[in-house]
Amino acid sequence: MSRIVIVGTKSHMDEAIEALYSAEAIHLIDHTVDADEGFTLGTPRPYSPKASERLLKVRAMEKELGITNSVKTDAVPEDEIKSQISSDSVELVEKEVTSVLDKRNDLNQRITELNATKKNLELLSDIPVDLELYSGYKSIFSMVGTVVDDPTAALSGIDCEIFSSLNKKKGNVVAVFAKDADKEKVQAILSDNGFSEIPVPKETGSAASALARTDVELTAVSNELENVNKEIENLLEKHKTFLKASDEELSIEVQKGEIPVRVANSEYTFVIDAWVPAKKADSVKAEIESKVSGTYVEVQETRGRNLHEVEEAEERFKTTPSKFKNGKIVEEFQYCTKLVGVPAYQEVDPSILIAIFLPMFFGLMVGDVGYAIPFIIIGAYGLKVTRHKDWRAIATALFFGGIWAFIFGFFFFGECLGMHFVTSSHMLDVEFSWEMLLGLHGLPEIFNGILPYEAGVGKLFHVGFLLKLSVYIGIVHLLIGYLCGFYNKYIQHGFKHAFMEKGSWIMGFIGVVLACYALTELLIYGTPMDDIIIFLGLGIVLIVLEIVMNIKHEGIQAILELPGIMGNVLSYTRLAAIGMSKAGMALAFNYIALGMIAGVDITPAVVVGHEVVVDAFITNTFNFMDILGLVVFAFLHLVIWTLAILSAGLHGLRLQMVELMGKFFEGSGVEYNPLKIKREKTVSSKAKATKEV
Amino acid sequence: MVLEGDVGSGLIAIGAGLAVGLTGLGAGMAEGDVGAAAVGAITEDMSLFGKSMIFVVLPETIVIFGLVIAIISIFVM
Repeated sequence: MSRIVIVGTKSHMDEAIEALYSAEAIHLIDHTVDADEGFTLGTPRPYSPKASERLLKVRAMEKELGITNSVKTDAVPEDEIKSQISSDSVELVEKEVTSVLDKRNDLNQRITELNATKKNLELLSDIPVDLELYSGYKSIFSMVGTVVDDPTAALSGIDCEIFSSLNKKKGNVVAVFAKDADKEKVQAILSDNGFSEIPVPKETGSAASALARTDVELTAVSNELENVNKEIENLLEKHKTFLKASDEELSIEVQKGEIPVRVANSEYTFVIDAWVPAKKADSVKAEIESKVSGTYVEVQETRGRNLHEVEEAEERFKTTPSKFKNGKIVEEFQYCTKLVGVPAYQEVDPSILIAIFLPMFFGLMVGDVGYAIPFIIIGAYGLKVTRHKDWRAIATALFFGGIWAFIFGFFFFGECLGMHFVTSSHMLDVEFSWEMLLGLHGLPEIFNGILPYEAGVGKLFHVGFLLKLSVYIGIVHLLIGYLCGFYNKYIQHGFKHAFMEKGSWIMGFIGVVLACYALTELLIYGTPMDDIIIFLGLGIVLIVLEIVMNIKHEGIQAILELPGIMGNVLSYTRLAAIGMSKAGMALAFNYIALGMIAGVDITPAVVVGHEVVVDAFITNTFNFMDILGLVVFAFLHLVIWTLAILSAGLHGLRLQMVELMGKFFEGSGVEYNPLKIKREKTVSSKAKATKEV
Repeated sequence: MVLEGDVGSGLIAIGAGLAVGLTGLGAGMAEGDVGAAAVGAITEDMSLFGKSMIFVVLPETIVIFGLVIAIISIFVM
């Protein structure tokens, strides 16, 4: 990355902003207040406030009309949308939309009111008093409302007339007419009985007839609302293209207009600090100087990856943005890297390692043709339809993970849906193979020589082998991690520093591995001491060397972290363990489901061998239990398959993030994010011109 | 159900079960606490997801140790 300074006169600010965006390589360094004497932050361009205001209106309309990201519209030429915006189209559309929206709001409010009135009238309709008779008296008052308990008895001492309708379902309604003088007493008694007043609508005639009138009005208003909603839908259709395009165009304008706020300004000039890729520095200089008159561009420095250069730099120039340089496939795995952090400029990008190892580990843990194929299909389909980067990353991992699972399942484990293809002598008593199940006796010849251990590795049988294999994979994987750490320190500080800091760890790692290997051979397998003494000796020498070198660097911590290496290596045994757990589930599920289909008693009390089940399976005639058995079979395998995404996926990712990246990755960087205009709903005039030619 | 085999292999099986079960319990308790804190952190700032995940899965290694012990006791002893 090179740091450039662009100096120009403020009168050419707009041209300069255009040039910055069209270069598509300029990562702006935000100016900070008081960074340079005599310079201040600028003010937005004159067109910016108007554009912001219009953008706000457009976004509000989009929200009200329900134009979301999923609404598809055509792209509009840039010139067209610009001229529309400048001829106040936004305001005109707003007027049109607002009038309809206001109508809708009014109608909605009217409906709420009518519903409330309707509810009151429904209660009042049980009282045989016309609505106009509730008020308009000189010395009498009326109180009408709902009560919890019947107040008639309590009111018996007062001179009043009571109308009541006691209905548990609808509610108890009472209307009390009494003299003004008794008002307080009546109120007190009613409130003791849980009185809640009903406002009497200003209508005439009986409540029932008023209710009918209200119903008619409610229907009319609802119909009107429906029409207005249709009108809104029409408006959405009519304006969605314009709104989406103007949203995008105005966002771009606002973005451009805010540029002066991010750079240094004096009275007549502006100064822009920016990072550009070193290769593009000269071309960017030439482009900006030729496009904007009165502008001068200077390449200040080309930042190397040694940390000494960073220490000498000014505070705001210390962090150099890092640009990911990955191919199309590895690019999708950058997502995993970014979950931890963006690699610093002086750091290797682990995305490629993740791209290699994550699908491989996933495949090893799944290791079954039957589960691999759906993974491949779903991954491929996901890559075809999704554009969202999160989903694309997941789909890529599933697709390649599925391919690895197929490879391991076919050539290594020789398994499909938890059953080996070929029958072998090391099968468990309750295990089936496709060969015996379907009577395909040609299978052994096809697989002859392809599969290890006669019929493929048994996940539940060759446990020792799988454990050792996963430990060896772990050692290689961790060693790569340590080497990356060494390389990082090498580019940051030079060879000597790297050797002292990370080289010692590599030695310690190899030492621990050798010593553990020797001890395992000695203690578990009982190998004679003479055979392993060389490994043990070498291991101890390396460990001691590591401690001596590291104590100078990190102090006593160096010793404490040594057992951690063993933990790290053993952590990879999950590769075997997760495969085992899935194989165990599949074994049990197959036994249950196939036993059901075959009609064999599969209660735990009588463990029947596979011969019995298979014989019954082959001679089985079709019946209802077969369908049930097949459904159970499909469902149970779906359970394992779903668990595979979670366990194999997450554990595979964990091995990358914790074990591998922990050895070298800090992730304190900032991503290179050049000024660039991304158009989706509008077509830039330049692109249009080239297309027409 | 008829019991087969000798007492020794039964004890080994119990030991293996305890190794996996108890380490699982321990890891679960640790992970629960870390996980709760991590979810809190993620709701504040989504970009912490990766870093939180590293902390959440750290205690898991204990189960792996238990599993290794269990497997060694069953297959080697």
